[in-house]
Amino acid sequence: MGELLAQAWTVARKDLVLEFRTRTALVSAVVFTALVLTVFNFGRDPTAVPTIDLAPTILWVTFTFAAMLALNRAFQLELENQALEGLLVSPLSRTSLYWGKLIANLVFVGVVEAVGLPLFVLFFDVPVGRVLLPLIGVIVLATLGFVAVGTLFSALVIRTRFAELLLVVILLPFLVPPLIGAVQVTARLLGGRPLSESVGYLKLLAAYDIVFVSLASFLFRFTVDE
Amino acid sequence: MSLTQKGRWITVVALVCLAAVYVRALAFTPVERLQGPAQKIFYLHVPAALWTEAAMILVGLAGIFYLFLKDPRLDRFAEASAEVGTVFATIVLTTGPIWGKPIWGTWWTWDARLTSTLLLFFLYVGYLLVRGAVRDPGLRARYAAVLGICGMCLVPFIHLSVFLFRTLHPQPIILKPSAPSLPSSMLATWLFSLVAFTLLYVGFVTQRYALSLARDAQCGGSPGHA
Amino acid sequence: MPDVPQNAGYMVAAYIVTAVILLGYAVSLYRRTDKP
Repeated sequence: MGELLAQAWTVARKDLVLEFRTRTALVSAVVFTALVLTVFNFGRDPTAVPTIDLAPTILWVTFTFAAMLALNRAFQLELENQALEGLLVSPLSRTSLYWGKLIANLVFVGVVEAVGLPLFVLFFDVPVGRVLLPLIGVIVLATLGFVAVGTLFSALVIRTRFAELLLVVILLPFLVPPLIGAVQVTARLLGGRPLSESVGYLKLLAAYDIVFVSLASFLFRFTVDE
Repeated sequence: MSLTQKGRWITVVALVCLAAVYVRALAFTPVERLQGPAQKIFYLHVPAALWTEAAMILVGLAGIFYLFLKDPRLDRFAEASAEVGTVFATIVLTTGPIWGKPIWGTWWTWDARLTSTLLLFFLYVGYLLVRGAVRDPGLRARYAAVLGICGMCLVPFIHLSVFLFRTLHPQPIILKPSAPSLPSSMLATWLFSLVAFTLLYVGFVTQRYALSLARDAQCGGSPGHA
Repeated sequence: MPDVPQNAGYMVAAYIVTAVILLGYAVSLYRRTDKP
């Protein structure tokens, strides 16, 4: 177990160092998120629909896009640097390779979300104060689900034609159940409803994470082995 | 008799069976009092929906066995089941709105069955696209197996999330298209239809499998041989 | 007692669409397996 984590961290660190050295992808993703939020502002009529009703949707569509961007960039990096072959030859286990990529992707998406959330609160005057902790909890749960499946599929599309398009097409159906859970819990939190009303959805999110993190981690080897 | 011929015969029998179901449903099954004749769409819509889902589960199961056994027959079966599943999904997604319009007054409704089938449809399309995007048969079979397994595992989550979401929106009180208690003559019609669709699935998959087999023999490229 | 709704047109449409899809696919399979 310790071995697994150590190896995973090696992989993650390599990705993250590359990422933060150039910072281009990160900055672009953050700017993109801000732009999406801005566009949402122009897509609504604040006099007709109270912002609070649209807020969960705005937040989660934005975060979904951010996650997709992060995943796209993840495998682009590999493709460009032919790094994947190098990693496969190394004595790293396939599972730790997956976990390393998962961690790196989570950090990347996490940073984007950490900037996106305050912007969201600012732009739409959303009262998150009292529910900040549960909200962050939901964001973590849903993001883990997105990125777990996305990391697996990124590896899968690498050697296919039209990889970026394919990634989006195969990934989005998998994002629907956690998205439903995330939006519903967010709506209830922002509406001041007690947490007990969200329990069903939270269980959905947790179950999804457990199942798909395990499944993706197990299946990853089949996407990279010859 | 070659596999193709067997498949064709089964399909012919299935189509005859379907014709009999048509006659029985249209002429010899009572009209439902509240919904009117449009209710009879149910006899086609529901069996098709059941098989859409069953086909996806079979794709997933074939995938699991393929990853362990590397038998190309499993991959061919998965490919066939996915294509046939897509056809059945199309039936559900077209008959659904045609049924929905007179009953609920709207062409589309996000009810449990339509929403689930829509997501299944996207899963199928993604699966077939990935298959089309990979040249090497071995790689293709492996990637398809991974995606198929994930798709199969997503099915319970689709149901759960759609169910949770649905309980927000009051369902039409009087007109419940999937009323659990059917008078026996209606139940009989429904069962005959289920048999017809089962035969259709078997006949179609057999033919599609034979097609795959013929193509593999021609190209000399069978997956699963290292 | 309210009248039974007159929506047989929808029923016919759905039955036709289903038949077209199934027969269409059957024919497509037949033709594809004819000339490998």
